Amino acid sequence: MKRLFCLILLLASATWRLEAQNPGWPVPDDQKGKICLVKFTPDMVKQGEAIYMKNCQSCHGIPTKKNFAAIVPSPGDLSESKVGSQKDGELFYRITTGKVPMPEFRNILTEDERWSVISFVRTYHKGYKQPDPEKLAGAAGKRIRLSMAYDTVKKKIMVKAVELSKDGPQPAKGAEVVIFIQRYFGNMQLADPKPTSEYGYAGFDWPQDLPGDKRGNVIVTARVNDPTGSMQEALVKDTLTIGVPTDKPSLTDTRAMWSTRDKAPVWVILTYTLAVLVVWYFIIYIILAVLDIRKIKQV
Amino acid sequence: MDENTVNNRDEQDPSKSSRRNFMKNIGLLGAGVAAGAGALYSGDIFEKKKAATGESKVLLTQDNKLVEVDSLEMKVLAKNPEKLKLQEGREGIPGKRWVMVIDLSKCRNARRCISACQDAHQLKPEQYHMNTLQMQDSPGTAPYNMPKNCQHCDNPPCVAVCPVDATYKRGDGIVLIDNVRCIGCRFCMAACPYSARIFNWTTPKDADKHSGETYNVELNVPQKIGTVSKCLFSADRCREGKLPYCVSACPNGVYYFGDENEDAVTNGTTKETTRLSKLLRDNGAYQLMPELGTKPRVYYLPPKNRLFPFEPSTD
Amino acid sequence: MEKIVNDLSHHIRLNKGFFIWMGFLVLAFLACLYAYTRQLQYGLGVAGVRDYISWGLYISNFVFFVASSLIGMLISAVLGLIGFKWVHPITRIAETIAVAFAAVAGLVIVMDMGRPERLAYVFMYARFQSPILWDVTVITTYFVISLLLLFLPMIPDMAVLYKRFSKLPSWLKPVYKVLSLNWTDHPEQNRIIHRSVYILLILIIPAALSIHTVTSWLFALTVRPGWDSTIFGPYFVSGAFVAGSAAVIIAMYFFRRNYKLQDYLTDMHFNNMGKVLVLVAFVYLYFNINEYLVPGYKLKRADALHLHELMAGNFAVMFWLVQVGGLLIPIILLLFRRMRRPMPLTVISVAVVIGAWFKRYLIVVPTMAHPFLPVQHVPENFKVYTPTLIEIAITLLSFILVLIIITLISKFFPVIPVVETAKDKGLDPLKSIES
Repeated sequence: MKRLFCLILLLASATWRLEAQNPGWPVPDDQKGKICLVKFTPDMVKQGEAIYMKNCQSCHGIPTKKNFAAIVPSPGDLSESKVGSQKDGELFYRITTGKVPMPEFRNILTEDERWSVISFVRTYHKGYKQPDPEKLAGAAGKRIRLSMAYDTVKKKIMVKAVELSKDGPQPAKGAEVVIFIQRYFGNMQLADPKPTSEYGYAGFDWPQDLPGDKRGNVIVTARVNDPTGSMQEALVKDTLTIGVPTDKPSLTDTRAMWSTRDKAPVWVILTYTLAVLVVWYFIIYIILAVLDIRKIKQV
Repeated sequence: MDENTVNNRDEQDPSKSSRRNFMKNIGLLGAGVAAGAGALYSGDIFEKKKAATGESKVLLTQDNKLVEVDSLEMKVLAKNPEKLKLQEGREGIPGKRWVMVIDLSKCRNARRCISACQDAHQLKPEQYHMNTLQMQDSPGTAPYNMPKNCQHCDNPPCVAVCPVDATYKRGDGIVLIDNVRCIGCRFCMAACPYSARIFNWTTPKDADKHSGETYNVELNVPQKIGTVSKCLFSADRCREGKLPYCVSACPNGVYYFGDENEDAVTNGTTKETTRLSKLLRDNGAYQLMPELGTKPRVYYLPPKNRLFPFEPSTD
Repeated sequence: MEKIVNDLSHHIRLNKGFFIWMGFLVLAFLACLYAYTRQLQYGLGVAGVRDYISWGLYISNFVFFVASSLIGMLISAVLGLIGFKWVHPITRIAETIAVAFAAVAGLVIVMDMGRPERLAYVFMYARFQSPILWDVTVITTYFVISLLLLFLPMIPDMAVLYKRFSKLPSWLKPVYKVLSLNWTDHPEQNRIIHRSVYILLILIIPAALSIHTVTSWLFALTVRPGWDSTIFGPYFVSGAFVAGSAAVIIAMYFFRRNYKLQDYLTDMHFNNMGKVLVLVAFVYLYFNINEYLVPGYKLKRADALHLHELMAGNFAVMFWLVQVGGLLIPIILLLFRRMRRPMPLTVISVAVVIGAWFKRYLIVVPTMAHPFLPVQHVPENFKVYTPTLIEIAITLLSFILVLIIITLISKFFPVIPVVETAKDKGLDPLKSIES
């Protein structure tokens, strides 16, 4: 009873602190404790920096430079202590869910990528110590393994989720699967998330008009991204030759009025050159003839 | 005709021998190409000779990767970094056709796109690559904000009139300006129906600070006095796989940018990628003045179902 | 015979009037050149042009210069080939004006360039598709043809003057000797000259039509309201004849007075030139009606705004002054014979030339002031074009240059063809040349 009371008090104070810092953006308690399951490494920080510069920097600016965007609510500089004092789980939740105008990165970045961004931001927080992932091993939800294949008859991408439990692999039922197709500036979600069937399968209709590369290759990612945390994130990425082969010619391939000199329409080059040659032929002819006047002596 | 008389004529009238110069220059160009090719070839041979000693070189690539290259494989493209940039900037990114979608229903004239753009391209406050206009199509219709940049037309009237190939269209659709080449005749500005082009009438912003920088044609900096400038679809960012400056700066989700060949555009605010064809179809997208036949690469989604009132600006 | 040579050549000397006039021109030239050095130093920003109205005085002036130079072709080629004998004394004046304006037109374009030091790029990187290359080409060609048309008929004149005009300044003698190309009035020489002039007269017609048509295309090849017109070529050409005829009349008047050429540039010549002017002005009026009535009837949105600005908006005063004072009233006045006498005709011509200059301004600037999309969030001087003093000075510079060229040519060479005039009167000054 006493322990329970203490816990409530602790939670209340924690919530109060949070409210003071981020009015209107509470993080559910069960999410605060979430931690990264691997140790941050320099490689991870580097990856996080690249992702940060691409996805976060336009609003948050470069940490410590205080060059964040002047919008309301203010994005703020992520090196500040009010960010530093937040738990990893809180940062992770905020990145994941977003809140207008901050985008929701759930479907844009994988969990690993989100953690790498946190690992990068943490390098600006003095005195930060990463919670030891070892302690939480096993307590982080079910481990899932995904596999993916294209069903040419049904024209569907079939994803199979397998739970890796102590008793050996079993079909994972009810895992929320999302499919993404890699595009130049980010991953494109194919359809709404679908739970796996009791046999561990989820099928996604493949649009027959989606462009692939020259050979029709598309890079497809399937992900289990359970918001409740009962399952660990699982991911499978594969190149499938199921897109429409797309090899559009360069826009400057044809001769045109607006093209470069080398690609001028032939009739323009011919007309211009011909007109110039004809007129100047006569002009030079006349100049030469006139110069001949000097040589003619009176008989 | 004998060569002498021709020369005489040129001497009498040096400034007025355009055609002759022009023909000469074609010749010069040919000679230049031949000389360049020769130089490259001899450079190549030189490298090959070195390879006989079994040397390999560690190089930094443009995307900042350290690579080890056998010097036998190396080919000198250009020794001058500025020339290399110019050459690369003329070719564009293979296989791409950039396209921008502007959702007018979301624009509330925050002008963040404008400042991000002006910062990136070293522009003064009155110099706009991207400008948000207050539009009203006819007296009975509702006013709305319309971000307007270069439309990167597939039939660009501005590029057609350039006398020196200073502005050009690339294979990936971007219309760029080489301000090392631009002679400042401003014909392109007169030809553009979208008023997308601006001019460096006076010394550009912070010219002293940037004077030593290598000219980057894909970012068009440093800006140069007496030359034209305009929106570049952030060609430098596209090369890095990043969204353009304006697109990622928008707080309201107005901009989508992507590759038409992939049929996908990515929203700069939410970073969500959606199918281009579906976005255009579902929202009744249109283009600016399509009747002019310019074939713009920018689409607009009509300003319907707005969640906020239109606030006329004082300007 | 001696009288003709003397009458037509007596002005070829260095007198006080010439020094005063040239001194004035050179001083004014230097003052205006200073303005240009400012522009070179600080960029085009010293002029009033800005992002929306990016072409202003310089381009208007360029169009005017090209227009004025066109008259050489009308007088020499069209009227000459048809066989009007009365144009003979005027041809050289017309060619002089053509050469002067064509030469300076090229410089005016350089004045408008943001990067004049890159002029050579126009030839080095020339794009076949750009009307600027076409324009540069045809202006160069036209200039050379005009120069030849000025020079060829002058060869016999110089030979005559070299041998028979005792007062020819000694320092000019070697120039005349070289330029007269050993002229001995040999039949073969005459054959060459006649043949060459004949070819040139035919050649200059397409060349002249091209220069002003291509210049009009600098505008007509864009999609802008006010420029997007299919009749811009003939519209510009007919306007050019108006400006050029008036310019020739003014020049005739001054040469007649200053060089005492009353016996050679008679009232008949003025009367006829007045008729030419009224004829071309009618043609121009016709094109004007087409150019304004056709879009004015339909009132498409952009055209409506453009026409409203011209006729009732910011440009209305200038527009009506130009159309009424520079075209309509001159046409009406010139229908009367009395108005085609030298003095009134010259006054009218001055009004026509001024009107013609402002007409070019009205073609260039209003269209740029009203693009398709609204002009917003820019300083006030981006929205309204006001030429600066430096800009005006640089524009004057080009006019001074034209005057210098015309002065030099007319002062040191006979303004009226000597040999041709003599032959028209049944004399042959060259018969006795060898004696």
